[in-house]
Amino acid sequence: MSTPLSLATSRRPDGTPVLTATGEIDMSNAAIFAAALADAVDPEGVHLVVDLTAVEYLDSAGLAALFPHAECIQLVVTPLLEPLLTISGLADLTTVHRPGPDQAADSGG
Amino acid sequence: MSSGDRQPRVDADVFAIDEEIGRDLARVDWAATPLGAPAGWPQSLQTAVRILLSSRFAMWMAWGPELTFFCNAAYRRDTLGRKYPWALGRPASQVWAEIWDDIGPRIDTVLTTGQATWDEALLLFLQRSGYREETYHTFSYSPLRNDGGALVGMLCVVREDTDQVIGERRMATLRDLGSDPSVVRTEQEMLAFAERQLNRNRRDLPFTLTYLFEEDGRARLAAATGITAGHPAAPRTLSSTEPGALWPAGRLLEGESVRVALDGATVPELPTGGWPEPPTEALLVPLPRQGGTPYGFLVAGMNRYRALDDDYHGFVELAAGHVATGIASARSYQAQQRRAEELAELDRAKTAFFSNISHEFRTPLALIMGPLEELRIRLHGAERSVQEELEVIRRNGLRLGKLVNSLLDFSRIEAGRMQARYEPVDLAAATADLVSVFRSSMERAGLTFEVDCPPLPEPVHIDRGMWEKVVLNLLSNALKFTFHGSVRVTVRTEDGQAVVRIADTGVGVPEQEMPRLFERFHRIENVQARSNEGSGIGLALVKELVGLHGGTITADSALGEGTVFTIRLPFGSAHLPATAVVPAVTSTTEVSTSAEPFVQEAQRWLPEVAEPATGVEPDPSAGEEFRFGHRRAGTPARVLVADDNADMREYLIRLLRGAGHLVDAAADGQQALEIARTEVPDLVISDVMMPRLDGLRLVAALRADSRTAGTPVLLLSARAGQEASIEGLEAGADDYLVKPFSAAELLARVRANVELARLRNHHARWRTALVDSLQEAFFVCDEDGTVIEINAAFTDILGYGPEDLRSGPVQPWWPDREREPEAHRRVVEAFEVLLGQSHGSYTVPVTHADGHRLWVAAAFNQVDDPDTGRRMVVGTFRDVTAEHYAVQRETALAALSVRLSQADDLTDALHGVLDELRKLWRAAGVMAAVFDGAHAPVITATDPRLRWDALPEQRRRGITALRDRPLLTPVADQAGGAGIAVEHPHGTMVVWIDLGEKRPFTDQDQTLLALLAGHLGQGLHRVHQIDQQRETALALQRAILGPAQLPAGFAVRYAPAARPLKVGGDWYDTVELPDGRIGIVVGDCVGHGLQAATVMGQLRSACRALLLQDSRPGQTLMALDRFAAQLPGAACATVFCGVLDLFTGELRYSSAGHPPAVIAHPDGTIHLLDQGRSRPLAVRPGLDRPEADCVVPARATLLLYTDGLVERRRQPLSSGIAHAAAAIQSGRATPIETLATDLMDQMAPEGGYDDDVALLLYRHPGPLELEFPAESTHLAPVRTALRNWLDRCGLAPANAYDVLVAAGEACANAIEHGNRDSPGGRIRLRAAATADDLRLSVTDTGRWRPPQPAANTHRGRGLVLMRALMDTITVTAGTAGTTVDMQARING
Repeated sequence: MSTPLSLATSRRPDGTPVLTATGEIDMSNAAIFAAALADAVDPEGVHLVVDLTAVEYLDSAGLAALFPHAECIQLVVTPLLEPLLTISGLADLTTVHRPGPDQAADSGG
Repeated sequence: MSSGDRQPRVDADVFAIDEEIGRDLARVDWAATPLGAPAGWPQSLQTAVRILLSSRFAMWMAWGPELTFFCNAAYRRDTLGRKYPWALGRPASQVWAEIWDDIGPRIDTVLTTGQATWDEALLLFLQRSGYREETYHTFSYSPLRNDGGALVGMLCVVREDTDQVIGERRMATLRDLGSDPSVVRTEQEMLAFAERQLNRNRRDLPFTLTYLFEEDGRARLAAATGITAGHPAAPRTLSSTEPGALWPAGRLLEGESVRVALDGATVPELPTGGWPEPPTEALLVPLPRQGGTPYGFLVAGMNRYRALDDDYHGFVELAAGHVATGIASARSYQAQQRRAEELAELDRAKTAFFSNISHEFRTPLALIMGPLEELRIRLHGAERSVQEELEVIRRNGLRLGKLVNSLLDFSRIEAGRMQARYEPVDLAAATADLVSVFRSSMERAGLTFEVDCPPLPEPVHIDRGMWEKVVLNLLSNALKFTFHGSVRVTVRTEDGQAVVRIADTGVGVPEQEMPRLFERFHRIENVQARSNEGSGIGLALVKELVGLHGGTITADSALGEGTVFTIRLPFGSAHLPATAVVPAVTSTTEVSTSAEPFVQEAQRWLPEVAEPATGVEPDPSAGEEFRFGHRRAGTPARVLVADDNADMREYLIRLLRGAGHLVDAAADGQQALEIARTEVPDLVISDVMMPRLDGLRLVAALRADSRTAGTPVLLLSARAGQEASIEGLEAGADDYLVKPFSAAELLARVRANVELARLRNHHARWRTALVDSLQEAFFVCDEDGTVIEINAAFTDILGYGPEDLRSGPVQPWWPDREREPEAHRRVVEAFEVLLGQSHGSYTVPVTHADGHRLWVAAAFNQVDDPDTGRRMVVGTFRDVTAEHYAVQRETALAALSVRLSQADDLTDALHGVLDELRKLWRAAGVMAAVFDGAHAPVITATDPRLRWDALPEQRRRGITALRDRPLLTPVADQAGGAGIAVEHPHGTMVVWIDLGEKRPFTDQDQTLLALLAGHLGQGLHRVHQIDQQRETALALQRAILGPAQLPAGFAVRYAPAARPLKVGGDWYDTVELPDGRIGIVVGDCVGHGLQAATVMGQLRSACRALLLQDSRPGQTLMALDRFAAQLPGAACATVFCGVLDLFTGELRYSSAGHPPAVIAHPDGTIHLLDQGRSRPLAVRPGLDRPEADCVVPARATLLLYTDGLVERRRQPLSSGIAHAAAAIQSGRATPIETLATDLMDQMAPEGGYDDDVALLLYRHPGPLELEFPAESTHLAPVRTALRNWLDRCGLAPANAYDVLVAAGEACANAIEHGNRDSPGGRIRLRAAATADDLRLSVTDTGRWRPPQPAANTHRGRGLVLMRALMDTITVTAGTAGTTVDMQARING
């Protein structure tokens, strides 16, 4: 039984690309997640919003997929995942948002 | 086929529940059975199969017209054996053809009545392991109904009890074998006892043969059970060398165990024991002897229905061990018995000697007396002196005859050869006639003689000869010791007995002498008597003779007032041997001639009628006619003769007068003294032993008087015992003569003494001679305590002569102040008494010149020296060492026994005993070396640092040499030590006592050591035996108790009562119920021991089965009530029964009078489960029992226990419960197994538990244990399981998420290197919670990959995450795999 994960790309009304992950990310499916990230990220363009609100589990394999793109993405995470990002240092390299109606609140603010 | 499409689906549904059994069930050709293809099975059958397969409890079922057989995995494992999978789908009657006679009728009952059956431990012979096997099963058949409600099958829930039943049976045999061997004395009795015990277990031991090796190497059949001695398989003797023998005795002699196959061809008609068929094999085990070849061996026919496994083998060896121990005890006892018999034999030899010598005397006596009577007749009318001398010969001949006859009577009584003829006699008349012969003697002695003998109502059976001896001895005794007043003889009837009393008003018997009055050869010294003659056997003989008549004799006496002897004789003849009773024959008036010597003897004590005893004038004519007249005395002298024997006195008078001396005579010392003071003689000739004042005291009195101080005294003595002390006298002048002496010698000495006395004063000589002639040690000390004079006996006793005396009080025989402070103190105290009081006595320890310890009893008096007026102390003492040590021996034995009986085990016993020995001998150290066959002996010593290797070579050699000497033979060493070899259960033991100084180890010490060592050997064997018994008992108790596999999260303990060690009736149990919940039970049966254990086993089994049927605790206990009411000993047992949901922690419980369970919450609060309580079991069967519900919260700890844990004397139960609750409360953060151990330790009273204890602990939830292949695809389900478990642990989501990630990282890491090194590796994850923390471990089969951030950034990152999320991380890498341990505190 493989780890459940579904990925979807979309755009916000303002045209910002969004990659929404639902399920769990571990070493068994981190490659799929990494591939989806690589596809969705545009190093030259607008920062990709990676919405991890519906991710129930994320470990170093998932973080490893996020790190190479740290400068080109924004993350949306629940408070559950936040300590992980802080500990790993990813929070220092990228912008992290709490999910909200506006989806724009900066975690730093 | 239309069903072809559906069949796989149905199969999957019905059979898929159990992968393994399901697969084999699916392979069965169901279409060929009456049930048809599974697709067509009714719903009821499908349901039944599902229930069956999903249960983890062993079950089988039968369905349909042929009772087609199904079973589940547990049944296959426990019971079915090789019949699987053949049995599936077959008619049950085929599957269990071999037991169909047993179970068929039961199944019929179920199918016809619809009533379930219940069988407890039923014996069934199963053919499942390649042979017919003895098995026991507890099972219930319950009916199964089809969709229409009709009875179509049955379901059997079964538990196999084989191990338990057989284990209990063997345990019973071993316990019986080991039960109180103290009643068994001889080897024969012991073997008979063992035979009875072995015979009671014909199932494990269909037949047994006990062979003992003889000295010639042959083996002799000593006991047999289940088979007759002499049977072809039970030859009465076996050669150990014969090659073709059925039993290879030679191999057993070498200590081997041997299995011998038995087949009907070689050994026809073997007995079958408790079974229908004979054994096919026998096991032969040696009867082990410590440190030697076996005593023999045990042949045990084997139960053919059980495999000969280690347990069975072990059982037979233990049984043989018990028999061997018994033989060892019996032989040791026998050896002691033999020693005692040797002593008795010596005593018999002595008696025989007396008997022979008495006979030898009688012959010459008869040859003297016969011719003498002739002479008297012939010389009647001859001159007076001739007649007088003949009379002297006759009297003394009679006396000697009487003495010899008494001795002979004794020999006869001792040898049991006294030929008695008891005839009915008018006792009053016979006694009156008898005593009348003494009348004239009594009257001559000036005594009133009263005889009051009224007729008795019926005759008394007496042997006349014996009765005469009784009465005459007593009368002559009365006359001898009575000087004034009366002697009274009465005959009466009192309390239905004839009572004869002989009472005198004589000198009486001192109180301290009363106990020894009837002792043979015991004479009371220094008592005033008419004569000092006597052998000391009269009263002893009287007592024996009265005893032969079935009567008793007692004496009452008051010093100076008189003595009463009371004889009581029964009427009738029932108390006498029938062969010795004769009708009345003798004339009642005749008094036999035996009275003559008594009367003759008594006459001689009395004053002469014709001749006054004093003032005899010399007869001038006598000298001329004197036959001995070799030579006239040079100078006639005045000689005073003192002798109580009239014949001797007269003989001396005639002799001295014949030599021309003037002779005065006195009958005792007092009279002699008075005469000597009136007119001082030139010489005194005195007997030593005389009434009133004896010879020695006469001499002392003469010396004390200045007028007679210089008068020479010639002592005459017949007492051989004093000869030695007189030797000093004989070296100088001849003033001591031993009887018999010749007339010439006497006269020569008289002359020499008279002449010498005239030349010099013998005063000083005499004093020395007197003092030295004392048998007791004598000393004089001055007022400072300086000893100034001692005698020879003093030197003999203490080893110090006059030259060793020192000035001042401290003498060389005083115990050393430093080394023996206690003994020294006693002497100092005694010394103060000596100087401070006018007279007294004391007993003190002193040291002999050669260093050995003596005990002396001293008596002293203060006197004033007439010359100087200074105060002196004069004392005597006697060596009482033997008496002292006799008391000490008893005390030491008692102390040793106490130590042995208090010991918990052999080591403890030995330590205690060595300590006791050290104290007893005031030794520097005591050690024991046990030679158990190892290279060096095992050492136990009072000095715990002592090592064998550190001992001097000489000592090691000495101890090894002792080992090879005969047992119990003490060996003393010159250098100040002693040793002895003793039998220890592990081999020969040498006990070595190191006195630590050059101090002799005396014969007394050696005797004591041998005695104690013998006792020690026996004691150690007994301790060892008890040790083994309780090991066995405990092992078996644990085997009966509790499930082998506990569900996760539980910890259990059982401890027997510590002292005395008792297994008992406490138990714990967990039962996995069909619905996944767990039944938890803790119970306590009344009492201890095997009985309680048996009841416990049955209650436990019943409670288990009942819980499986109906998982409501209240209902279970009610059903158990009914069961217990039928089971003797089960009433009033208390039980706590609960059913616990491991997922939710919900607990429903009911308590039958049991102490409340305890829950310790993670926050430290305590909750007692004191609801749902009612009476103990079987008190009111049928009455409802309440239940209560509670929840064991996450990370709480639940404790169930029996009262042994909490009950303490003089403390309320509630305080013990509070104590236990506090202990689990403080241990709520401790892992559950550790907590169980801690709790048992903390609650144990000093010295161990008084009662047995069972306890059960559970912490909710139980630990999570997962094992999965090292593949990343398994990570998600593992996480799900962990997430659920963390939820049950009550963790907050954020907390849980941290743990989840950390565990995930550890697993991911494990997969990475697990995959790399050994594809197909597995990972184990274990998680457990305590009140406030979580411990996780992840173990793989590979090697830990060190973080290499450069090569693999995100693995390194994983470790960082783990460290950040958890409190501690430990990585343990080994060759077999790597374990990551993680710990996190739980917030909130």
